[in-house]
Amino acid sequence: MTRHKRRRDPVGAACRVAALAVLSGFLVFTAYLGFAASRGVGIDFLRGASSVAVDGTGMGPALAGTLWLLLLTAVLALPIGIGTAIYLEEYAPRTRVTAVIESVAANLAGVPSVIYGIVGLALFVRALGMGPTILAGGCTLAVLALPGVIVTSRTAIRRVPEGLRLAAYGLGATRWQVVRNQILPAAGSGIVAGCCAAFTRTAGAAAPLLVLGTATYMSFAPQTPAHPLTSLPTQIFTWATRSQEEFAALAAGAAIMLLLLLLIMNLISALVVRRLSGAAR
Amino acid sequence: MMARRVSGAGTASRAAGERLVAHVLLACTVVAVVTLAAVLAVLVREAGMFFADVSPWRFLTEITWAPAAAEPRFGVLPLLVGTAQIGVGAAVFALPAGLMTAVYLHQYAGSRTARLLSGVTALMAGVPTVVYGLFALHFVTPALRVLWPGVEAFNALSACLVVGLMILPTVTVLSREALDSVPPPLLDAGLALGAPKGRVVTRVLLPAASGGILAAVLIAMARAVGETMIVSLAAGNEARLTWSPFEGLQTLSAFLTQLGMGDAATGTREFQAFFAVGAVLFVGTYGIHMAGRMLVSRSVGRAGQ
Repeated sequence: MTRHKRRRDPVGAACRVAALAVLSGFLVFTAYLGFAASRGVGIDFLRGASSVAVDGTGMGPALAGTLWLLLLTAVLALPIGIGTAIYLEEYAPRTRVTAVIESVAANLAGVPSVIYGIVGLALFVRALGMGPTILAGGCTLAVLALPGVIVTSRTAIRRVPEGLRLAAYGLGATRWQVVRNQILPAAGSGIVAGCCAAFTRTAGAAAPLLVLGTATYMSFAPQTPAHPLTSLPTQIFTWATRSQEEFAALAAGAAIMLLLLLLIMNLISALVVRRLSGAAR
Repeated sequence: MMARRVSGAGTASRAAGERLVAHVLLACTVVAVVTLAAVLAVLVREAGMFFADVSPWRFLTEITWAPAAAEPRFGVLPLLVGTAQIGVGAAVFALPAGLMTAVYLHQYAGSRTARLLSGVTALMAGVPTVVYGLFALHFVTPALRVLWPGVEAFNALSACLVVGLMILPTVTVLSREALDSVPPPLLDAGLALGAPKGRVVTRVLLPAASGGILAAVLIAMARAVGETMIVSLAAGNEARLTWSPFEGLQTLSAFLTQLGMGDAATGTREFQAFFAVGAVLFVGTYGIHMAGRMLVSRSVGRAGQ
Protein backbone atom coordinates (compact mmCIF):
# COMPACT_ATOMS: atom_id res chain seq x y z
CA MET A 1 0.00 0.00 0.00
CA THR A 2 2.73 2.45 0.97
CA ARG A 3 4.53 1.69 -2.25
CA HIS A 4 1.39 2.53 -4.20
CA LYS A 5 1.08 5.81 -2.38
CA ARG A 6 4.62 6.74 -3.14
CA ARG A 7 4.17 5.94 -6.81
CA ARG A 8 3.82 9.11 -8.86
CA ASP A 9 0.29 10.07 -9.81
CA PRO A 10 0.30 12.63 -12.66
CA VAL A 11 -3.50 12.77 -12.72
CA GLY A 12 -3.61 13.67 -9.05
CA ALA A 13 -0.91 16.29 -9.47
CA ALA A 14 -2.73 17.87 -12.41
CA CYS A 15 -6.01 17.95 -10.49
CA ARG A 16 -4.27 19.59 -7.55
CA VAL A 17 -2.83 22.29 -9.82
CA ALA A 18 -6.26 22.89 -11.37
CA ALA A 19 -7.90 23.28 -7.96
CA LEU A 20 -5.16 25.67 -6.92
CA ALA A 21 -5.67 27.69 -10.12
CA VAL A 22 -9.41 27.95 -9.48
CA LEU A 23 -8.80 29.06 -5.92
CA SER A 24 -6.22 31.65 -6.97
CA GLY A 25 -8.50 32.96 -9.73
CA PHE A 26 -11.11 33.65 -7.10
CA LEU A 27 -8.55 35.22 -4.75
CA VAL A 28 -7.29 37.57 -7.48
CA PHE A 29 -10.89 38.56 -8.22
CA THR A 30 -11.64 39.28 -4.54
CA ALA A 31 -8.36 41.13 -4.05
CA TYR A 32 -9.05 43.31 -7.09
CA LEU A 33 -12.51 44.29 -5.80
CA GLY A 34 -11.21 45.13 -2.34
CA PHE A 35 -8.24 47.05 -3.65
CA ALA A 36 -10.23 49.00 -6.26
CA ALA A 37 -12.96 49.91 -3.79
CA SER A 38 -10.51 50.99 -1.10
CA ARG A 39 -9.42 53.88 -3.30
CA GLY A 40 -11.76 56.81 -3.08
CA VAL A 41 -14.78 55.36 -1.38
CA GLY A 42 -15.83 57.42 1.60
CA ILE A 43 -18.75 57.03 3.94
CA ASP A 44 -20.73 59.61 1.95
CA PHE A 45 -20.79 57.07 -0.84
CA LEU A 46 -23.40 55.01 0.99
CA ARG A 47 -25.81 57.86 1.41
CA GLY A 48 -25.11 60.14 -1.48
CA ALA A 49 -26.78 60.33 -4.84
CA SER A 50 -25.14 59.09 -7.98
CA SER A 51 -24.13 61.98 -10.15
CA VAL A 52 -21.97 62.73 -13.13
CA ALA A 53 -19.44 64.50 -10.92
CA VAL A 54 -17.09 62.18 -9.12
CA ASP A 55 -16.99 64.04 -5.85
CA GLY A 56 -20.04 63.60 -3.66
CA THR A 57 -21.25 60.68 -5.68
CA GLY A 58 -22.97 57.72 -4.08
CA MET A 59 -25.19 54.76 -4.53
CA GLY A 60 -28.11 55.46 -2.19
CA PRO A 61 -30.66 55.68 -5.04
CA ALA A 62 -29.34 52.54 -6.72
CA LEU A 63 -29.46 50.57 -3.47
CA ALA A 64 -33.03 51.75 -2.81
CA GLY A 65 -33.93 50.79 -6.39
CA THR A 66 -32.58 47.27 -5.93
CA LEU A 67 -34.51 46.83 -2.68
CA TRP A 68 -37.70 48.00 -4.43
CA LEU A 69 -37.06 45.58 -7.29
CA LEU A 70 -36.49 42.68 -4.88
CA LEU A 71 -39.71 43.49 -3.04
CA LEU A 72 -41.75 43.66 -6.26
CA THR A 73 -40.23 40.45 -7.57
CA ALA A 74 -40.97 38.65 -4.32
CA VAL A 75 -44.57 39.87 -4.19
CA LEU A 76 -45.24 38.95 -7.82
CA ALA A 77 -43.21 35.80 -8.41
CA LEU A 78 -43.28 33.93 -5.09
CA PRO A 79 -47.04 33.38 -4.61
CA ILE A 80 -47.64 32.60 -8.26
CA GLY A 81 -44.58 30.38 -8.60
CA ILE A 82 -45.09 28.40 -5.40
CA GLY A 83 -48.86 28.18 -6.02
CA THR A 84 -48.18 26.79 -9.49
CA ALA A 85 -45.73 24.25 -8.09
CA ILE A 86 -48.25 23.06 -5.47
CA TYR A 87 -51.03 22.84 -8.05
CA LEU A 88 -48.94 20.91 -10.57
CA GLU A 89 -47.58 18.48 -7.96
CA GLU A 90 -50.55 17.91 -5.67
CA TYR A 91 -53.72 18.82 -7.58
CA ALA A 92 -53.29 18.44 -11.32
CA PRO A 93 -53.55 14.98 -12.82
CA ARG A 94 -50.28 13.82 -14.37
CA THR A 95 -50.87 14.40 -18.04
CA ARG A 96 -48.80 15.29 -21.04
CA VAL A 97 -49.73 18.96 -20.50
CA THR A 98 -48.20 19.09 -17.01
CA ALA A 99 -45.10 17.29 -18.29
CA VAL A 100 -44.72 19.88 -21.05
CA ILE A 101 -45.20 22.77 -18.58
CA GLU A 102 -42.53 21.27 -16.34
CA SER A 103 -39.96 20.79 -19.09
CA VAL A 104 -40.59 24.23 -20.62
CA ALA A 105 -40.27 25.93 -17.23
CA ALA A 106 -37.02 24.07 -16.50
CA ASN A 107 -35.50 25.11 -19.83
CA LEU A 108 -36.78 28.69 -19.57
CA ALA A 109 -34.78 28.92 -16.33
CA GLY A 110 -31.68 28.46 -18.50
CA VAL A 111 -32.53 31.12 -21.09
CA PRO A 112 -30.32 34.27 -20.89
CA SER A 113 -31.86 37.05 -18.82
CA VAL A 114 -31.32 39.66 -21.53
CA ILE A 115 -34.07 37.98 -23.61
CA TYR A 116 -36.54 38.66 -20.80
CA GLY A 117 -35.33 42.25 -21.03
CA ILE A 118 -36.29 42.78 -24.68
CA VAL A 119 -39.66 41.10 -24.09
CA GLY A 120 -40.19 43.23 -20.97
CA LEU A 121 -39.45 46.35 -23.01
CA ALA A 122 -42.01 45.44 -25.66
CA LEU A 123 -44.60 44.24 -23.14
CA PHE A 124 -44.37 46.29 -19.94
CA VAL A 125 -42.57 49.47 -20.94
CA ARG A 126 -44.27 50.04 -24.30
CA ALA A 127 -47.44 47.94 -24.81
CA LEU A 128 -48.71 48.38 -21.24
CA GLY A 129 -47.35 51.93 -21.06
CA MET A 130 -45.43 51.58 -17.79
CA GLY A 131 -42.40 53.41 -19.16
CA PRO A 132 -38.88 52.67 -17.88
CA THR A 133 -39.95 52.62 -14.24
CA ILE A 134 -39.15 50.47 -11.23
CA LEU A 135 -42.56 48.85 -11.70
CA ALA A 136 -41.68 47.71 -15.23
CA GLY A 137 -38.31 46.44 -13.91
CA GLY A 138 -40.03 44.53 -11.10
CA CYS A 139 -42.48 42.91 -13.52
CA THR A 140 -39.65 41.90 -15.87
CA LEU A 141 -37.55 40.46 -13.05
CA ALA A 142 -40.62 38.61 -11.72
CA VAL A 143 -41.08 36.93 -15.12
CA LEU A 144 -37.35 36.14 -15.12
CA ALA A 145 -37.57 34.57 -11.64
CA LEU A 146 -40.81 32.67 -12.24
CA PRO A 147 -39.44 29.55 -14.02
CA GLY A 148 -36.73 29.12 -11.38
CA VAL A 149 -39.21 29.45 -8.52
CA ILE A 150 -41.60 26.93 -10.10
CA VAL A 151 -38.87 24.37 -10.86
CA THR A 152 -37.11 24.51 -7.47
CA SER A 153 -40.40 24.45 -5.53
CA ARG A 154 -41.61 21.44 -7.55
CA THR A 155 -38.35 19.62 -6.90
CA ALA A 156 -38.65 20.28 -3.16
CA ILE A 157 -42.28 19.12 -3.07
CA ARG A 158 -41.44 15.99 -5.04
CA ARG A 159 -38.76 15.02 -2.53
CA VAL A 160 -41.39 14.67 0.22
CA PRO A 161 -41.71 10.91 0.86
CA GLU A 162 -44.83 9.42 -0.70
CA GLY A 163 -45.59 7.60 2.57
CA LEU A 164 -46.26 10.91 4.34
CA ARG A 165 -48.90 11.78 1.74
CA LEU A 166 -50.51 8.36 1.77
CA ALA A 167 -50.60 8.20 5.58
CA ALA A 168 -52.28 11.60 5.80
CA TYR A 169 -54.83 10.75 3.11
CA GLY A 170 -55.41 7.41 4.86
CA LEU A 171 -56.34 9.28 8.04
CA GLY A 172 -58.99 11.12 6.06
CA ALA A 173 -57.17 14.41 5.54
CA THR A 174 -58.35 16.56 2.66
CA ARG A 175 -56.05 17.66 -0.10
CA TRP A 176 -55.37 21.11 1.38
CA GLN A 177 -54.85 19.62 4.86
CA VAL A 178 -52.22 17.29 3.40
CA VAL A 179 -50.54 20.20 1.62
CA ARG A 180 -50.66 22.57 4.58
CA ASN A 181 -49.83 20.17 7.40
CA GLN A 182 -47.55 17.64 5.69
CA ILE A 183 -46.16 18.80 2.34
CA LEU A 184 -45.32 22.44 3.10
CA PRO A 185 -43.60 21.74 6.46
CA ALA A 186 -41.57 18.92 4.91
CA ALA A 187 -40.72 20.77 1.69
CA GLY A 188 -40.41 24.24 3.25
CA SER A 189 -36.65 24.26 3.63
CA GLY A 190 -36.15 23.13 0.03
CA ILE A 191 -38.57 25.75 -1.27
CA VAL A 192 -36.84 28.55 0.67
CA ALA A 193 -33.37 27.46 -0.48
CA GLY A 194 -34.49 27.18 -4.12
CA CYS A 195 -36.30 30.51 -4.14
CA CYS A 196 -33.27 32.16 -2.58
CA ALA A 197 -31.08 30.84 -5.39
CA ALA A 198 -33.55 32.13 -7.98
CA PHE A 199 -33.61 35.53 -6.24
CA THR A 200 -29.83 35.75 -6.07
CA ARG A 201 -29.79 35.42 -9.85
CA THR A 202 -32.54 38.04 -10.20
CA ALA A 203 -31.09 40.60 -7.78
CA GLY A 204 -27.79 40.62 -9.66
CA ALA A 205 -29.33 40.81 -13.12
CA ALA A 206 -28.15 43.91 -14.96
CA ALA A 207 -28.80 43.00 -18.59
CA PRO A 208 -32.64 42.96 -18.60
CA LEU A 209 -32.81 46.26 -16.71
CA LEU A 210 -30.32 47.92 -19.06
CA VAL A 211 -32.55 46.93 -21.96
CA LEU A 212 -35.60 48.49 -20.30
CA GLY A 213 -33.63 51.72 -20.10
CA THR A 214 -32.18 52.79 -16.76
CA ALA A 215 -31.51 56.26 -15.56
CA THR A 216 -27.75 56.85 -15.45
CA TYR A 217 -28.17 59.98 -13.38
CA MET A 218 -30.31 59.84 -10.27
CA SER A 219 -30.26 62.60 -7.70
CA PHE A 220 -32.72 61.20 -5.16
CA ALA A 221 -33.83 57.82 -3.89
CA PRO A 222 -36.95 56.27 -5.44
CA GLN A 223 -40.01 56.59 -3.20
CA THR A 224 -42.57 54.69 -5.30
CA PRO A 225 -42.48 52.03 -8.03
CA ALA A 226 -43.43 54.74 -10.55
CA HIS A 227 -39.94 56.22 -10.15
CA PRO A 228 -37.48 55.88 -13.06
CA LEU A 229 -35.61 52.59 -13.01
CA THR A 230 -32.33 52.42 -11.13
CA SER A 231 -30.51 49.52 -9.46
CA LEU A 232 -27.11 48.50 -8.13
CA PRO A 233 -26.21 46.15 -11.02
CA THR A 234 -27.02 48.73 -13.69
CA GLN A 235 -25.23 51.43 -11.70
CA ILE A 236 -22.15 49.20 -11.58
CA PHE A 237 -22.38 48.79 -15.35
CA THR A 238 -22.72 52.52 -15.95
CA TRP A 239 -19.77 53.34 -13.73
CA ALA A 240 -17.69 50.53 -15.20
CA THR A 241 -18.09 51.95 -18.72
CA ARG A 242 -16.62 55.32 -17.68
CA SER A 243 -12.97 55.70 -18.50
CA GLN A 244 -11.84 57.64 -15.40
CA GLU A 245 -10.25 55.58 -12.64
CA GLU A 246 -12.50 57.16 -9.99
CA PHE A 247 -15.58 55.61 -11.54
CA ALA A 248 -13.97 52.16 -11.49
CA ALA A 249 -13.46 52.62 -7.75
CA LEU A 250 -17.11 53.60 -7.35
CA ALA A 251 -18.19 50.58 -9.38
CA ALA A 252 -16.08 48.30 -7.19
CA GLY A 253 -17.60 49.85 -4.06
CA ALA A 254 -21.10 49.30 -5.41
CA ALA A 255 -20.14 45.74 -6.39
CA ILE A 256 -19.04 44.99 -2.82
CA MET A 257 -22.32 46.48 -1.56
CA LEU A 258 -24.28 44.24 -3.95
CA LEU A 259 -22.27 41.17 -2.89
CA LEU A 260 -22.91 41.98 0.78
CA LEU A 261 -26.62 42.33 0.08
CA LEU A 262 -26.69 38.93 -1.65
CA LEU A 263 -24.62 37.41 1.17
CA ILE A 264 -27.05 38.72 3.81
CA MET A 265 -29.98 37.40 1.77
CA ASN A 266 -28.36 33.96 1.52
CA LEU A 267 -27.43 33.91 5.22
CA ILE A 268 -31.02 34.70 6.24
CA SER A 269 -32.24 31.98 3.89
CA ALA A 270 -29.72 29.51 5.35
CA LEU A 271 -30.96 30.32 8.88
CA VAL A 272 -34.59 29.85 7.82
CA VAL A 273 -33.69 26.58 6.08
CA ARG A 274 -31.96 25.28 9.21
CA ARG A 275 -34.93 26.31 11.35
CA LEU A 276 -37.45 24.71 9.01
CA SER A 277 -35.57 21.47 8.51
CA GLY A 278 -35.13 21.23 12.29
CA ALA A 279 -38.88 21.73 12.79
CA ALA A 280 -39.76 19.10 10.20
CA ARG A 281 -37.77 16.42 11.97
CA MET B 1 -53.22 18.11 17.21
CA MET B 2 -56.37 18.63 15.23
CA ALA B 3 -59.31 18.94 17.58
CA ARG B 4 -61.89 20.01 15.07
CA ARG B 5 -65.63 19.93 15.45
CA VAL B 6 -67.22 17.28 13.32
CA SER B 7 -70.54 18.67 12.31
CA GLY B 8 -72.50 19.03 9.14
CA ALA B 9 -71.94 22.77 8.87
CA GLY B 10 -68.20 22.40 9.51
CA THR B 11 -67.84 19.80 6.80
CA ALA B 12 -69.73 21.94 4.31
CA SER B 13 -67.63 25.06 4.97
CA ARG B 14 -64.49 22.98 4.89
CA ALA B 15 -65.47 21.57 1.52
CA ALA B 16 -66.07 25.12 0.29
CA GLY B 17 -62.65 26.13 1.61
CA GLU B 18 -61.08 23.18 -0.17
CA ARG B 19 -62.66 24.23 -3.44
CA LEU B 20 -61.54 27.83 -2.94
CA VAL B 21 -57.93 26.79 -2.34
CA ALA B 22 -57.98 24.54 -5.40
CA HIS B 23 -59.31 27.41 -7.50
CA VAL B 24 -56.72 29.87 -6.19
CA LEU B 25 -53.91 27.41 -6.96
CA LEU B 26 -55.33 26.78 -10.42
CA ALA B 27 -55.48 30.54 -10.98
CA CYS B 28 -51.78 30.81 -10.02
CA THR B 29 -50.95 28.14 -12.58
CA VAL B 30 -52.99 29.85 -15.28
CA VAL B 31 -51.29 33.20 -14.58
CA ALA B 32 -47.85 31.58 -14.69
CA VAL B 33 -48.54 29.69 -17.91
CA VAL B 34 -50.11 32.71 -19.60
CA THR B 35 -47.16 34.92 -18.57
CA LEU B 36 -44.55 32.53 -19.90
CA ALA B 37 -46.60 31.96 -23.05
CA ALA B 38 -46.78 35.74 -23.51
CA VAL B 39 -42.97 35.92 -23.40
CA LEU B 40 -42.77 33.37 -26.19
CA ALA B 41 -45.58 35.06 -28.12
CA VAL B 42 -43.89 38.48 -28.08
CA LEU B 43 -40.62 36.94 -29.24
CA VAL B 44 -42.27 34.92 -32.03
CA ARG B 45 -44.49 37.79 -33.19
CA GLU B 46 -41.77 40.43 -33.50
CA ALA B 47 -39.25 37.97 -34.97
CA GLY B 48 -41.93 36.78 -37.41
CA MET B 49 -42.55 40.32 -38.64
CA PHE B 50 -38.81 40.77 -39.10
CA PHE B 51 -38.49 37.61 -41.17
CA ALA B 52 -41.48 38.65 -43.29
CA ASP B 53 -39.30 41.58 -44.41
CA VAL B 54 -35.82 40.09 -44.38
CA SER B 55 -35.38 36.59 -45.72
CA PRO B 56 -33.89 34.14 -43.18
CA TRP B 57 -31.37 33.12 -45.82
CA ARG B 58 -29.99 36.65 -46.12
CA PHE B 59 -30.10 36.98 -42.34
CA LEU B 60 -27.91 33.90 -41.91
CA THR B 61 -25.48 34.37 -44.80
CA GLU B 62 -24.72 38.09 -45.16
CA ILE B 63 -21.62 39.19 -43.33
CA THR B 64 -22.48 42.75 -42.35
CA TRP B 65 -24.53 43.59 -39.27
CA ALA B 66 -25.56 47.25 -39.23
CA PRO B 67 -29.23 47.47 -38.21
CA ALA B 68 -29.15 51.16 -37.29
CA ALA B 69 -27.31 52.38 -40.38
CA ALA B 70 -28.97 54.61 -42.96
CA GLU B 71 -28.94 51.62 -45.28
CA PRO B 72 -29.41 48.85 -42.72
CA ARG B 73 -27.74 45.48 -43.24
CA PHE B 74 -29.01 42.42 -41.42
CA GLY B 75 -26.34 39.72 -41.72
CA VAL B 76 -26.25 38.03 -38.32
CA LEU B 77 -23.08 36.03 -39.08
CA PRO B 78 -20.67 38.36 -37.20
CA LEU B 79 -22.80 38.06 -34.06
CA LEU B 80 -23.15 34.28 -34.41
CA VAL B 81 -19.42 33.79 -34.94
CA GLY B 82 -18.62 36.18 -32.08
CA THR B 83 -20.92 34.22 -29.77
CA ALA B 84 -19.30 30.93 -30.78
CA GLN B 85 -15.83 32.39 -30.24
CA ILE B 86 -16.68 33.51 -26.71
CA GLY B 87 -18.32 30.16 -25.94
CA VAL B 88 -15.43 28.07 -27.25
CA GLY B 89 -12.82 30.38 -25.71
CA ALA B 90 -14.45 30.23 -22.29
CA ALA B 91 -14.78 26.45 -22.57
CA VAL B 92 -11.06 26.07 -23.32
CA PHE B 93 -10.28 27.64 -19.94
CA ALA B 94 -13.18 26.48 -17.83
CA LEU B 95 -13.88 22.89 -18.84
CA PRO B 96 -10.49 21.29 -18.04
CA ALA B 97 -10.02 23.37 -14.89
CA GLY B 98 -13.57 22.75 -13.66
CA LEU B 99 -13.53 19.02 -14.39
CA MET B 100 -10.13 18.52 -12.79
CA THR B 101 -11.21 20.48 -9.73
CA ALA B 102 -14.25 18.20 -9.49
CA VAL B 103 -11.99 15.11 -9.68
CA TYR B 104 -9.73 16.66 -7.04
CA LEU B 105 -12.70 17.28 -4.74
CA HIS B 106 -14.05 13.78 -5.33
CA GLN B 107 -10.84 11.75 -5.10
CA TYR B 108 -7.96 13.64 -3.58
CA ALA B 109 -9.04 16.45 -1.26
CA GLY B 110 -9.22 16.00 2.48
CA SER B 111 -12.60 16.78 4.01
CA ARG B 112 -11.47 20.20 5.25
CA THR B 113 -9.97 21.28 1.92
CA ALA B 114 -13.04 19.94 0.14
CA ARG B 115 -15.33 21.98 2.36
CA LEU B 116 -13.27 25.13 1.82
CA LEU B 117 -13.15 24.69 -1.94
CA SER B 118 -16.86 23.87 -2.16
CA GLY B 119 -17.63 26.99 -0.15
CA VAL B 120 -15.51 29.12 -2.49
CA THR B 121 -17.25 27.56 -5.49
CA ALA B 122 -20.67 28.32 -4.02
CA LEU B 123 -19.64 31.94 -3.39
CA MET B 124 -18.33 32.29 -6.95
CA ALA B 125 -21.59 30.93 -8.33
CA GLY B 126 -23.52 33.72 -6.61
CA VAL B 127 -21.46 36.63 -7.96
CA PRO B 128 -23.52 38.75 -10.40
CA THR B 129 -22.02 38.72 -13.87
CA VAL B 130 -21.82 42.52 -14.05
CA VAL B 131 -19.27 42.33 -11.22
CA TYR B 132 -17.22 39.86 -13.26
CA GLY B 133 -17.54 42.27 -16.17
CA LEU B 134 -16.05 45.06 -14.08
CA PHE B 135 -13.16 42.73 -13.17
CA ALA B 136 -12.64 41.87 -16.84
CA LEU B 137 -12.59 45.45 -18.08
CA HIS B 138 -10.59 47.07 -15.28
CA PHE B 139 -8.22 44.27 -14.23
CA VAL B 140 -7.87 41.48 -16.79
CA THR B 141 -7.69 43.73 -19.86
CA PRO B 142 -5.03 46.08 -18.39
CA ALA B 143 -3.07 43.00 -17.26
CA LEU B 144 -3.24 41.51 -20.76
CA ARG B 145 -2.12 44.80 -22.27
CA VAL B 146 0.95 44.75 -20.07
CA LEU B 147 1.76 41.25 -21.34
CA TRP B 148 0.94 41.94 -25.01
CA PRO B 149 0.92 45.63 -25.96
CA GLY B 150 -1.06 44.78 -29.11
CA VAL B 151 -4.22 43.93 -27.18
CA GLU B 152 -7.05 46.38 -27.86
CA ALA B 153 -8.98 48.09 -25.05
CA PHE B 154 -11.95 45.92 -25.94
CA ASN B 155 -10.89 42.36 -26.74
CA ALA B 156 -12.29 38.86 -26.90
CA LEU B 157 -9.51 37.25 -24.85
CA SER B 158 -10.36 39.10 -21.66
CA ALA B 159 -14.05 38.26 -22.12
CA CYS B 160 -13.23 34.56 -22.72
CA LEU B 161 -11.06 34.34 -19.61
CA VAL B 162 -13.64 35.92 -17.35
CA VAL B 163 -16.65 34.12 -18.85
CA GLY B 164 -14.60 30.98 -18.18
CA LEU B 165 -14.19 32.06 -14.56
CA MET B 166 -17.93 32.68 -14.38
CA ILE B 167 -18.93 29.20 -15.62
CA LEU B 168 -16.28 27.40 -13.53
CA PRO B 169 -18.62 26.83 -10.55
CA THR B 170 -21.30 25.38 -12.84
CA VAL B 171 -18.82 22.95 -14.41
CA THR B 172 -17.32 21.98 -11.05
CA VAL B 173 -20.58 21.47 -9.16
CA LEU B 174 -22.38 19.56 -11.94
CA SER B 175 -19.37 17.35 -12.80
CA ARG B 176 -18.92 16.55 -9.13
CA GLU B 177 -22.54 15.44 -8.97
CA ALA B 178 -21.84 13.19 -11.95
CA LEU B 179 -18.75 11.74 -10.25
CA ASP B 180 -20.68 11.20 -7.02
CA SER B 181 -23.25 9.12 -8.89
CA VAL B 182 -20.60 6.55 -9.90
CA PRO B 183 -20.90 3.52 -7.56
CA PRO B 184 -17.80 3.34 -5.28
CA PRO B 185 -17.41 -0.49 -5.71
CA LEU B 186 -16.51 0.17 -9.34
CA LEU B 187 -13.50 2.24 -8.23
CA ASP B 188 -12.59 -0.22 -5.48
CA ALA B 189 -12.56 -3.00 -8.05
CA GLY B 190 -10.11 -1.03 -10.17
CA LEU B 191 -7.83 -0.32 -7.20
CA ALA B 192 -8.04 -3.95 -6.06
CA LEU B 193 -6.74 -5.03 -9.46
CA GLY B 194 -3.63 -3.03 -8.69
CA ALA B 195 -4.29 -0.08 -10.99
CA PRO B 196 -2.80 3.20 -9.74
CA LYS B 197 -5.28 5.81 -8.65
CA GLY B 198 -4.62 8.05 -11.62
CA ARG B 199 -5.46 5.23 -13.99
CA VAL B 200 -8.64 4.36 -12.09
CA VAL B 201 -9.67 8.00 -12.47
CA THR B 202 -9.05 8.14 -16.22
CA ARG B 203 -10.18 4.61 -17.13
CA VAL B 204 -13.03 3.94 -14.68
CA LEU B 205 -14.31 7.08 -12.95
CA LEU B 206 -14.42 9.49 -15.90
CA PRO B 207 -15.91 7.03 -18.45
CA ALA B 208 -18.56 5.92 -15.93
CA ALA B 209 -19.53 9.56 -15.28
CA SER B 210 -19.20 10.68 -18.90
CA GLY B 211 -22.96 11.21 -19.46
CA GLY B 212 -23.29 13.49 -16.46
CA ILE B 213 -20.08 15.32 -17.32
CA LEU B 214 -21.29 15.98 -20.85
CA ALA B 215 -24.52 17.34 -19.37
CA ALA B 216 -22.50 19.63 -17.10
CA VAL B 217 -20.55 20.85 -20.11
CA LEU B 218 -23.73 21.58 -22.07
CA ILE B 219 -25.44 23.45 -19.24
CA ALA B 220 -22.28 25.49 -18.63
CA MET B 221 -22.04 26.24 -22.37
CA ALA B 222 -25.63 27.47 -22.41
CA ARG B 223 -24.64 29.94 -19.70
CA ALA B 224 -21.47 31.02 -21.51
CA VAL B 225 -23.28 31.55 -24.81
CA GLY B 226 -25.98 33.64 -23.14
CA GLU B 227 -23.58 35.64 -20.98
CA THR B 228 -24.22 39.31 -21.55
CA MET B 229 -22.61 41.72 -19.13
CA ILE B 230 -19.04 40.40 -19.17
CA VAL B 231 -19.02 40.34 -22.95
CA SER B 232 -20.54 43.76 -23.50
CA LEU B 233 -18.17 45.34 -20.97
CA ALA B 234 -14.96 43.56 -21.99
CA ALA B 235 -15.36 42.75 -25.69
CA GLY B 236 -16.95 46.00 -26.76
CA ASN B 237 -19.93 46.41 -29.02
CA GLU B 238 -18.67 46.43 -32.55
CA ALA B 239 -20.06 43.66 -34.76
CA ARG B 240 -17.21 42.39 -36.87
CA LEU B 241 -15.80 39.14 -38.15
CA THR B 242 -12.34 38.65 -36.72
CA TRP B 243 -10.25 35.70 -35.66
CA SER B 244 -7.88 37.68 -33.47
CA PRO B 245 -8.57 37.26 -29.74
CA PHE B 246 -6.86 40.63 -29.21
CA GLU B 247 -9.64 42.49 -31.04
CA GLY B 248 -13.14 43.36 -29.91
CA LEU B 249 -16.30 41.69 -31.14
CA GLN B 250 -20.04 41.64 -30.48
CA THR B 251 -22.14 38.65 -29.46
CA LEU B 252 -25.87 38.02 -29.90
CA SER B 253 -26.50 38.79 -26.22
CA ALA B 254 -24.33 41.92 -26.13
CA PHE B 255 -26.20 43.26 -29.16
CA LEU B 256 -29.50 42.86 -27.30
CA THR B 257 -28.38 45.28 -24.56
CA GLN B 258 -28.08 47.96 -27.26
CA LEU B 259 -31.87 48.11 -27.37
CA GLY B 260 -31.76 50.01 -24.08
CA MET B 261 -29.13 52.48 -25.31
CA GLY B 262 -30.66 53.38 -28.65
CA ASP B 263 -34.14 54.61 -29.46
CA ALA B 264 -35.52 52.02 -31.87
CA ALA B 265 -39.27 52.73 -32.12
CA THR B 266 -41.82 49.94 -31.80
CA GLY B 267 -42.79 48.47 -35.17
CA THR B 268 -39.65 49.51 -37.04
CA ARG B 269 -37.49 46.91 -38.66
CA GLU B 270 -34.59 47.93 -36.44
CA PHE B 271 -36.72 47.18 -33.36
CA GLN B 272 -37.79 43.83 -34.78
CA ALA B 273 -34.17 42.93 -35.53
CA PHE B 274 -33.56 42.74 -31.76
CA PHE B 275 -36.28 40.11 -31.49
CA ALA B 276 -34.91 38.16 -34.43
CA VAL B 277 -31.52 38.05 -32.70
CA GLY B 278 -33.29 37.26 -29.41
CA ALA B 279 -35.11 34.37 -31.07
CA VAL B 280 -31.82 32.94 -32.42
CA LEU B 281 -30.23 33.19 -28.98
CA PHE B 282 -33.34 31.73 -27.36
CA VAL B 283 -33.45 28.71 -29.66
CA GLY B 284 -29.72 28.10 -29.22
CA THR B 285 -29.58 28.30 -25.41
CA TYR B 286 -32.92 26.52 -24.97
CA GLY B 287 -31.73 23.67 -27.17
CA ILE B 288 -28.34 23.27 -25.47
CA HIS B 289 -29.98 23.45 -22.05
CA MET B 290 -32.64 20.89 -22.99
CA ALA B 291 -30.00 18.46 -24.31
CA GLY B 292 -28.05 18.87 -21.06
CA ARG B 293 -31.10 18.22 -18.89
CA MET B 294 -32.07 15.15 -20.89
CA LEU B 295 -28.57 13.76 -20.39
CA VAL B 296 -28.80 14.45 -16.64
CA SER B 297 -32.08 12.59 -16.26
CA ARG B 298 -30.80 9.72 -18.40
CA SER B 299 -27.54 9.31 -16.50
CA VAL B 300 -29.32 9.58 -13.15
CA GLY B 301 -31.83 6.97 -14.31
CA ARG B 302 -29.04 4.63 -15.39
CA ALA B 303 -27.11 5.01 -12.12
CA GLY B 304 -30.27 4.08 -10.25
CA GLN B 305 -30.69 0.78 -12.10
